[in-house]
Amino acid sequence: MSSRSETLLWIAQRASAAVLALGVVVHLATIIHAVRGGLSAAEILGRTHGNYGWFAFYAVFVAAVSIHAPIGLRTIVAETWGWRGAALDALTLATGIALALWGWRAVFAVFG
Amino acid sequence: MTVNGRARWTCRTQVASVAAGDCLEIAPLNNLPVVKDLVTDMSRFFDKWAQAKGQFQGARSRREDFARVKPDSPQRRAVDAAIECIGCGVCYSSCDVVAWNPDYLGPAALNRAWTLVSDVRDTARTARLAAVAGDAGCHACHTHMSCSERCPKHITPTAGIAGLKRAAAAAALRGEL
Repeated sequence: MSSRSETLLWIAQRASAAVLALGVVVHLATIIHAVRGGLSAAEILGRTHGNYGWFAFYAVFVAAVSIHAPIGLRTIVAETWGWRGAALDALTLATGIALALWGWRAVFAVFG
Repeated sequence: MTVNGRARWTCRTQVASVAAGDCLEIAPLNNLPVVKDLVTDMSRFFDKWAQAKGQFQGARSRREDFARVKPDSPQRRAVDAAIECIGCGVCYSSCDVVAWNPDYLGPAALNRAWTLVSDVRDTARTARLAAVAGDAGCHACHTHMSCSERCPKHITPTAGIAGLKRAAAAAALRGEL
């Protein structure tokens, strides 16, 4: 992979980390708030169904995870087992696509 | 050399300051091939300086006047903070990333590149950033800071590497890499 591509991957991982830093705080605060209020799963879904705000938030959250995690895993695999090259890049891409599809599937389910 | 498991500038280290419990274990530097006993082959270490384009590239000839660089300018201060490297290899030997990725340029070569990227007279900035960016370059640094902690000249290669990351990222976004 070229220096430019490697650098752009680095930028993408840092930028997605910044999104996740905020996203995780909002996510955890929401969970704690919902549980303290004694809401059931059905009541939570009742609030999220059709809510475009939460849909947009978690759609962005999943996008950030799908960018951030595969790039980090790529580095871990390369440094732990010395595996580098096109096959690892393909696995990285596949991991990102799989995370995005699974995550967005869940987001759509919660949206309604 | 490695003294009691830690890379040190041994010709300037007093035994009394490092011998723990009257015990002294000396070994060759880590991350370098051992030639014999305490001697390591440092050619790969210095090859990486060349790979990181550690040679100054100026625009002036010897017939022209000296370049004027203000000593208190931010660029000159950045160079001052990193220029006193003696090439001892302590940082390279202490670096986890070198152990994990033998192609990683290492703190010393990247520190040298940073002094040249910060040098206002140098003309090879873009080529140098391309040489030091990526998986085997500055972006592989995990900021463990072992190099900075153990440098006998109290240089902070981690700061220079962070500077290279920012400069390379900016160049990539501008389409220069």
